[in-house]
Amino acid sequence: MSKTGEYSTRVVEHLVLSRDVFRLTLEATKLAAAARPGQFAMLGCGSGFDPFLRRPLSIHRVQGVSGTVSFLYRVRGRGTEWLASRRQGEAVSLLGPLGRGFRYEGNSKRALLVSAGIGVAPLLFLAETLMGLNWTITILIGARTRKGILCRSDFERYGRVLVSTDDGSAGRRGSVVDLLRKVFDKDSYAQIYACGPQPVLVAVSQLSADKGIPAQLSLEERMACGLGACMGCVCQGADPSRMVRVCADGPVFDASEVILNG
Amino acid sequence: MADLPVQIAGIGMKNPVLVASGTFGYGAEYRPVFDVSRLGALVTKGLTLKPCAGNPAPRLWETPAGLLNAIGLQNPGVDVFISDILPVMRSYGVPVIANIAGFTGEEFVALAERLDGSGVDGLELNISCPNVKAGGMALGADPCLAASVVAAVVRATSLPVIVKLTPNVTDIAGLAREVVAAGAAALSLINTLLGLAIDVDAGKPALGNVTGGLSGPAIRPVAVRAVWQVAQSVDVPIIGMGGICTGRDALEFILAGASAVAVGSALFHDPLAAVKVIKELERYCERKEIGDWRSLIGAAWKRGNSLAGEVR
Repeated sequence: MSKTGEYSTRVVEHLVLSRDVFRLTLEATKLAAAARPGQFAMLGCGSGFDPFLRRPLSIHRVQGVSGTVSFLYRVRGRGTEWLASRRQGEAVSLLGPLGRGFRYEGNSKRALLVSAGIGVAPLLFLAETLMGLNWTITILIGARTRKGILCRSDFERYGRVLVSTDDGSAGRRGSVVDLLRKVFDKDSYAQIYACGPQPVLVAVSQLSADKGIPAQLSLEERMACGLGACMGCVCQGADPSRMVRVCADGPVFDASEVILNG
Repeated sequence: MADLPVQIAGIGMKNPVLVASGTFGYGAEYRPVFDVSRLGALVTKGLTLKPCAGNPAPRLWETPAGLLNAIGLQNPGVDVFISDILPVMRSYGVPVIANIAGFTGEEFVALAERLDGSGVDGLELNISCPNVKAGGMALGADPCLAASVVAAVVRATSLPVIVKLTPNVTDIAGLAREVVAAGAAALSLINTLLGLAIDVDAGKPALGNVTGGLSGPAIRPVAVRAVWQVAQSVDVPIIGMGGICTGRDALEFILAGASAVAVGSALFHDPLAAVKVIKELERYCERKEIGDWRSLIGAAWKRGNSLAGEVR
């Protein structure tokens, strides 16, 4: 059943989207065929043993026809710096697809996608998939400034896009959480999907509980194996005695399955 | 292909490449990536008497050519292991070594009793975990305490007892001698080195547990030194580990005196690392036309080293 594997892939395209945000597209036919929205891959981020660990990146977009998979990432340290230096035609090793992705069942096909910053990464693949299943979606994108709003035009192909920035340089002034509350009061949704910094996920989780609307959260954590073996990337489960593995039990969790620290 | 059979504490293995406890879960996790039956033996994540939730996050921090971890023995407990996990592990057709971690000497004995006759092929006593407040390294760094636990476990089980030693001691050879005198049938060395990293952006320790265990290529010379010293001090086989990423790394341990090796953190760098190590050892033995690979064990210090001048 599982198509998870270790692959050597080639860089097809590597775009700089803003000062430190890149979109890496790899030729990875098997991964493209197997990947589902919300899943991720572990990418080799060095030519020797330093940096030592792979970096988990969520699958941003899949093009089945060309057999390519894209990753959207922010340069944060030595691993992603190395990755950012990869040019077209160069090799990148990759383990994937990994983890449990987003679920989208049910008849009431109205979804609210909530993201901030680099959190848009897994939601684009989700938005495209949901549109293919005739869902109606609203996408909220938050950032500090206008330059931090990522993939706006990409999302506009799949639904209504609303934007907020802390400084008001694009969309509504304020956080995406304020925007979320506003949107929530006006419309009804069957499902919320969210990815972004912890405070955003905490707010989404709280609203989900208050309004009784299920939410799925895509979590981020430092990882080592990516396969559920090492117990390194854990989050507090709803049962306080149980730590859940972000890589294997997630990275997408129902908001009710996890306890997030604000 | 060259054959690489070996016996460790009476456990027959088709090759001397194992996986280090804690890096491989219970084997099933890696099955999507490679055929785990190619390994010499499987070593479980550390098992405790009761289910253990482990340490608070964050549990991982990358360091230069290495990894600092403080998992804290998260596992479902020995009973769930025996009923739900072991039958699956046994189905792979390779020996299963249960790594056990008591928080007291009595718990080690209880774990050994529980696993006797369960179907595991051997026990690895984890008296070297640096990430728990009781048991672990606190127990295993004291030669007297370590020896008393080993003796009690050996009395309590018919299974071969392998003892995993901590490198966080001044005299690892002395510790090894005590543990072997107490009945250890083999030794695993080394467990992780105690370390600490500060997240300078957050202004506090990087790990939830504050301190952690350092592994990866960064610690390899420490591990090779430990194997070198211990191999010349005791007469039981040694499973060498600590930053092994390639066949050449494994050969360092073998030539220093290890009869088997375990690949651990390298699996995080490359999930195929252990199978690559097997292949590279096979190729090495063919290229060097080595009849019995076991002639390499300790060859770097043994008299009449036929490889001298040949091993590069």
